[in-house]
This record gives sequence, structure tokens and C-alpha cells, in this order.
Amino acid sequence: MGRDRDKIELLRGTLDMLILRTLLVGPAHEHKIAKHIQRSTDDVLQVEHGSLYPALHRLERKGWLTAKWENRDGTRELKYYRLTTAGRKQLAVEESKWQRLVFAIARVDARAEP
Amino acid sequence: MGFWSRLSGRAQREGELEREIQNHLDLEAEESGEYAARRAFGNVTIVKEDVRAVWSWTRLGHVWRDVRHGLRQVRRNPGFSAIAIATLALGIGVNAAMFSAVDAVLIRPLPYTDAGRLVMIWDEMGHIGFPKHYSTPAEWVEWRRQNMVFTDIAATESGEATLSGGGEPEQVPARKVTGNLWTVLGVHPAIGRVFTEDEDTRGARVAVISHGLWQRRFGGSPDVLGRTITINDGPYEVIGVMPPEFYFMPARDVDIWMPASFSPEHLTLFWWHDEQIVARLKPGVTLQQARESMAALSLRVTEGHVRPARKAVVVPLREELAGKTETSLVVLLAASGAVLLIACVNLANLLMSRGTVHRREVAIRAALGAGRGRLVTQFLIESLVLSGLGAFAGLAMATPVMRFLETLVPETMPSVRLTIDARVLAVSAAMAVAAGLAFGLAPALTGSRRALNEGLRDGGRGSTGAHSHWFQHSLIVLETALAVLLLTCGGLLLQTFQHLRQLDLGIRSEKLLTFVTPLFRYPDFDKRLAFVSAELDAIRVIPGVVSVGAISRIPLTEIAQTTQYLLAGQEPGATRTQDALSRVVTRDYFSTVGAGLRDGRFFDPSDRRSQTPVAIVNESFADRNFPGRSALGARFKFGATGPKGYSYTIVGVVREIRDRGVAEDLKPAVYRLHEQADQTGEAPSGIIVRTSVEPTSIVTAVRQAIWSVDKNQPLTHIRTVDDIVARQLSAPSQNTVLLGAFAALALLLASLGLYGVLSYAVTRRTNEIGLRMALGATSGDILRLFSRQGLALTIAGLAIGLGLAAAAARLMTTLFYGFEPDYLPAVAVVSLILLAVAAIASLLPARRASRIDPMRALHD
Repeated sequence: MGRDRDKIELLRGTLDMLILRTLLVGPAHEHKIAKHIQRSTDDVLQVEHGSLYPALHRLERKGWLTAKWENRDGTRELKYYRLTTAGRKQLAVEESKWQRLVFAIARVDARAEP
Repeated sequence: MGFWSRLSGRAQREGELEREIQNHLDLEAEESGEYAARRAFGNVTIVKEDVRAVWSWTRLGHVWRDVRHGLRQVRRNPGFSAIAIATLALGIGVNAAMFSAVDAVLIRPLPYTDAGRLVMIWDEMGHIGFPKHYSTPAEWVEWRRQNMVFTDIAATESGEATLSGGGEPEQVPARKVTGNLWTVLGVHPAIGRVFTEDEDTRGARVAVISHGLWQRRFGGSPDVLGRTITINDGPYEVIGVMPPEFYFMPARDVDIWMPASFSPEHLTLFWWHDEQIVARLKPGVTLQQARESMAALSLRVTEGHVRPARKAVVVPLREELAGKTETSLVVLLAASGAVLLIACVNLANLLMSRGTVHRREVAIRAALGAGRGRLVTQFLIESLVLSGLGAFAGLAMATPVMRFLETLVPETMPSVRLTIDARVLAVSAAMAVAAGLAFGLAPALTGSRRALNEGLRDGGRGSTGAHSHWFQHSLIVLETALAVLLLTCGGLLLQTFQHLRQLDLGIRSEKLLTFVTPLFRYPDFDKRLAFVSAELDAIRVIPGVVSVGAISRIPLTEIAQTTQYLLAGQEPGATRTQDALSRVVTRDYFSTVGAGLRDGRFFDPSDRRSQTPVAIVNESFADRNFPGRSALGARFKFGATGPKGYSYTIVGVVREIRDRGVAEDLKPAVYRLHEQADQTGEAPSGIIVRTSVEPTSIVTAVRQAIWSVDKNQPLTHIRTVDDIVARQLSAPSQNTVLLGAFAALALLLASLGLYGVLSYAVTRRTNEIGLRMALGATSGDILRLFSRQGLALTIAGLAIGLGLAAAAARLMTTLFYGFEPDYLPAVAVVSLILLAVAAIASLLPARRASRIDPMRALHD
């Protein structure tokens, strides 16, 4: 369970989509990805590091991401993740799945009203 | 990425993960302090574990997904799957059964210590028709004393034992063996002990009995040890019981082993060919060394005693026990292997053809980023799923085949119950994997290449490269060639079997009952004469009996029992190459068996006991010794060729009787009249009854008749001559049936393969056909186009297959039993069958092609 009441735990599978979407704007390292997801959702979505690392490695294995150690700020070498072409396509798939989910949930809501 | 490189990359990845997490903690610490950073991150170890799980599980996850995908494909294409699984089930089932038989006869360890070091030693006497003859007591003594290659040598001699006292007298197979047999074989009794060499030499009356006899006659009671039993009217003490798995040459059913206790005179005999010799190779001595050494030693030992001096033949015990069955099994295993190969080739072809159907789906997967490795893996797993299911179905099929194969086990070895055991399971699993890879690899490689190269470009239809056609056509030629190979070899075996079945046995085999009445109770010649005459009289009056005769060896059952002869006027040295079968008969014997007479007469009442006895010889004897002239009236000495030996006068020449066995070579033979045969120990213990009724229906009456003459007379080996013949023909008939079945299966599969490839070609070239027809080609043209293709493939396969068959036939000559089958009819029949089947297989798709509506074909 989340530590704060107003923070929503990520749905299974949604994290992949969020990572892919984050990387759409450009390569990023893990810490930045986590921060970005949190910030861009006004801290509503809490990313657990415990799930972020396995997710990144999974996506890398599937060939949706590539990773490279780079020293960008001159202080330390960080592992930067970058979206591949397959990853872009996958993002489209994930988003359409998400859309369907959203529609489905919306329909459930509508029916729940008298 | 290969498995090993993945494994070695692991350490590096671990380091990187460590670094990645540390970096994160550092960055976080800069923002909110180290403690907060650690707290926010949570348990580092658990996170690492989760990541590692991703590394290893994705691959397994894929495999599982592919298996499920494979199963879905199986369900989605029930027709194809059924054909594939049935084909594989036949291939794998037959091979699993064949393997279990090969395992039982040729692989599984024999019940002796280090059995691979045991050999049998025979006398080489090819000059009188015995390339492997029983050895003699004198040779055993000398070999044992002088050889350098064996740790020890033991001898065993034939013997029958009549157990009497307490119940009906029972005749059991027995063996007289030297006291060192047990140590040579390295065997131990289940209970009690075996006899020693000392007991053997001093002639102790002790016996070791089989587990079977112990159970049957003594109820498995341990107090059988020390009990005195009556064997051949003499008292013997039972000292040990062998374990149930023990058996030894010459047959699996020996029940009693007694000391050979050779007399000193016996041990000097170089002509008493009744010893089976077994020896254990010294450590480090090879079979080849033993062969050379024994050949030389034997020449040296027999020099001066026999002429010509003879070599010894050394044969591994396993080979001896398996006999001809070894060749049968190897040939049949090769044949069943060929069937499986054809099944795989067929499926490869079908899968490659089906690849087109699949293509859109594969293309989508490739577009979504599946690499070639992934696609190949997925294809392969799909075929492995099929072969796995095929193996399951095959095992269910194997059991009935095993029941049939059990009868192939030679009589020298214990009968076995073949079952699906762990070894068969392991071999079947290996076959399933090998088959899955064999028929899946080519389609997987071509299929994945196509998908990657062409992508979604041309959707579901279109052309495939000339390369894969060439490959598919080679596969068709290959499977046709294999089918032709099996068909031709099967044809040769069938000819052999036909030949054996139609052999003139020299006697009329129907309605002949035979049995043996051992005559050891009548060592005195006159008493024996009286008993034989009385028992024959008693049998003759049984209702249903037409006539009855007796002979020293039941016809068709004794390959040897020969002795030397000397024609009148010949020097004594002539005997060394003059060896003839010796048989003693009663006056009614020849008429009872229905033998034919070429010359002279059979024995008649004028032939009385006398110093000038008569003899009847067979055609081989007459033709060899009196070529171009009549043998009648000629005189010769037989067995006892010295001055005291009788001189026999030939009064008749009988047409060849296959005394040695249905499939055995003929040999000169001499028949003497029992009443005149007081110079030989041979006695007419084999009784032959010609009946007008079903022969086995009079068995009880025959027993009563004989026991009315002597209530202690045992009766053994009761069977009909037809049974004897059928039994001897069972091996060649089984070989023929099995190879024939494999060949038929191969033909069926090969024609299905041809049909499949041609139908696929028609489907693939529908457009082209439409175009040709639109441009004026007639249906006939199209029909010819496709049938010609089928015909070309078939003829190529036929030519290769016939070539292979000629080579294979040379490897299976022992299965022809000395007969030389004629290639021409076999080749002609096989070609006709194949062309007919191929014509049907190619005409069906060709006809479909010729009926294509050009308009529809071009629109599609």
C-alpha cells in the first residue's frame, strides 16, 4: 500500500507505458525517469524504485530500450536509457491498451449511476 | 546471444546494476541526505533480486509462451496436426519397440561377470561342411594346458536327464559341464553351492538345478538341498539352485547341470565332436589376439591326431547367443529408422509448404521486433510440441509391436517380456527431440528468413525462392529413395521366404506326430530291439494311426550327428573329407514319412541282423561318391572303418530329406536299419506317427500305449512335423513381415509427401496456371506439366533407392539362408508399385491444377 493516501499505486503494465512515454522526449537515467514520472503527474503517481529497476531491465531485454553509460554532467557516469524504434511502436500499443482500459472503466462508472 | 556469452555477461551486468543503484543513491543523497535516500529506495537486495529475475525469466517465459503458442497451433490446424502426430507416432512407436528388442538381445548385460570377455571356441571344419563344429575333449585338455590368452576354459556336453521316482517320469534338458564352468562364467547359485573341479574329476553324483525346475518340481522349498533325486536311473544329490536369470548355451531351458566327469580315455578323443567350449579372455588380451593365438595353437595340437589339422574359431559369447537375430535386428532397426527419417522429411516438407499459410502472422511478429533467433526458436518449439505429442501417441502404439518382436528373441536366450521401461522412454524422448529438430529446422530457417526479408510486403500470397523448391524436391527424392530401398529389401526377403516355404522337405509333413522316447533304460541291444518293436506295435493299433516308424533323430531337427565313411577300395586316409549324416531307422520309417525313392528299394523283411548289413543313402551321398553311375551294390564302411567294422551294401537311394533343418544345406546321409545297427550306439528313439486324424488328438492314447509296454518310459518333445517346420520358418517369416510392414509404411509416407508437395505447388502457382490457360494452354497441357514433375522426382528417387538396395542386400546375406534372391523381379515389382503410387499422388493435384478457372485464378 502507498505511504500517502492521495498517492495512487501504479497499475500493472502502466509503468511500462509511463517509462516509454518519459523517454519519448529524450534519453534519461533511472533517477531522472523516476523524478519525471512523479513530477509530471503532480506527485500523484508514486514510482517505487523496487519496481522501476526491474521494469527498465525488462524493457531493455525486450529491445524497447537501449542503455549506455554516459558522463554528461562531468561528475559521474550514469546509465542512460533511450527509446528504440520497437519501443516507439510498443508505446503506441501500450497507449491504445490504456485507452481501451480507460473507456472500459468509464463505462463501468456510467452504469453505476442510477 | 548464445547461452555461454549470456552466462559470462552475467558478472558484468551484476557490476553495472550495483553501480546504477549506487549512482541513484548518491544523486538522491545530494538532494535529501543519505538516510532519507536509503529509506526512500527501500531494500536494495530485494530490488536487485527483482532485476535478476527479469534477466533470467524472460527467456524461460518465451519458451513457455512458445509452447503454449505451439499447442494453440496444433488445435488451430487439426488436419495438419493429426497427420503430423500420426506420422510421428508411427515412426517413433515402431522405433521405440525396435529399440526395446535390440536392447534386450544386443545391449542389456548378460547374466555373467564381465560377459564381454567371454568367448566360445569351435573347431573349424569347413572341409566337411562345418565351419563352426563342436570341439572335442582332447582339444579342450590341450587348449586349457597350452593357451596363453585365456584365464580358463570350460567345456559342456549335451545330456538329457530323466527324472524318475515320485510321479510321472519327466525328461528335462540337462548339460554335463566341467567343474570350472562356474568360475569361467563368474556365476553363483541362488542357494546352496556349485560343484568343484575336484568333484568333477572324481565323478561325484551331484547336480545343480535351475530355478524353474526348483519351483516346478520341488515347490521352491529350500530343503531340496541335500536331497537325492533319480536322474537317468542313478542317484544324484542336489547341491545348488541357480538364480532365475541364469542360462547358458546352447538353450535357455537347461534344467540340470551335472559334472561332465570325463573318463581318461574320453579326454584323449579328437573325434568326439560334442563339446561346447567357453573361455574367458585374460585381461589386456584382445579378441583378435585370441583368434590368432588359438588358430595357431589348435593347428599344433591337432597335428598328428587328425588330418587335416584344424584351426579353432573364437566367437564372442554375445554374438553366439544372438546368432542370426543380430543381423535381423540390425536390418529391422535400420529399416524402422528409415521410416522415422521419411516421416521427418515429410513433415519438413509439409511445414515448409504450410509456411506460406503462416506467413502473415510471422511477418507481423517480425515487424513487432522479434529477432530471427526468436522466430527460429518459436518455429522449433512448435515442431517439438508436435514431435512430443507424436512420441506420446507412439508409445501407446509400441506395445502391440513389442508383443510381436518378443518372438524374435532367439532360443539361445531367455524369452523376454518387452515393456516401455526407463530406457525406452529415454530413447523415445531423444527421438522426439531429434525428430522435432530434424523436421523443424529447415522450415524454421527458411520461414524466418522469408519473414525478415520480405516483411509484410507481399502479404499472404506470392512466390517463394527457387532455392527452397530445390530443397523440397531433394527431400522428396530422398524419401522416395528410402522407400524404394525398404521395398526392394523387403522383396528380397519375401522371395527368400517363398523359396524356403516351397522347399521340398523330402517328406510329406502333414499329419505327422513326432516325439522322443529316450532309450537309456535299454542299453542292451536285444532288449532295446524288443522294446522298440513292442512300443511300435502298441502305437500301430491306436485308432487313427496309419503307420508308425522310428529314427535316431527326428527329421529337420539335428544339424550334425555325422560320422566318417570309407568306400570299398579306398585308402584309410580318405575318411578325412568323407563325412555323412548318420541315422538309424526302423523298417517302416521311410513309408511312414512318405519319402521318395530314386533307386533300388527301402528296407524290407529280408533285411535281418547280419554280418553283411545293408544301407540306404541319400542323393547327395550317391552323387558325390558315384557320379554318373548307380550306387546300388556299392560297399562302404561307416563309423567303424577299421578291420572289424561292418561293410554296408547300398540297396537304395532315397530322395533328399531335409534332416538337418528346413533352411540348412544338404549333406550326404546314410540310413541304417535298426536291427542291423549293433555297431553304433545310435538308437531309434524318435517316433513318427502318420495319422488319419488330427495328429495331436492321439497324444493321450500314444502315452497309454507306451506305458502299457513300460510304465517308466518317459515321452518328450511331442510335436507335429508341421510345427517343427513352422517354427523354423518363423524367423524368416517375421523378418519378412516386419520389413514388409516398414516398407509399406515408407511407401505410404513417401507418396503422401509427393502428394503434399505437388498440391502445394499447385496452390502456389495458381496465378501462373491461370495466366498460362488464359494464354491458350489446355487442361491437358497443365495436367502434363504437373505429372511430369511428379514423375521426374519419382524416377530420381527410384534410381537412387535401387542403388542403395543393391548395397544393403550385401549386408543382409545371412537373412537369405543361402538362397540367392533374384533382383530383377524385385526391382520390376517395386518400380511398378512406386510408379503407380506416384502417378496417383501426382495426378490428383495435377488434375486440380488443370481444372483451375483462369478468370478466378487471375482475380484472386
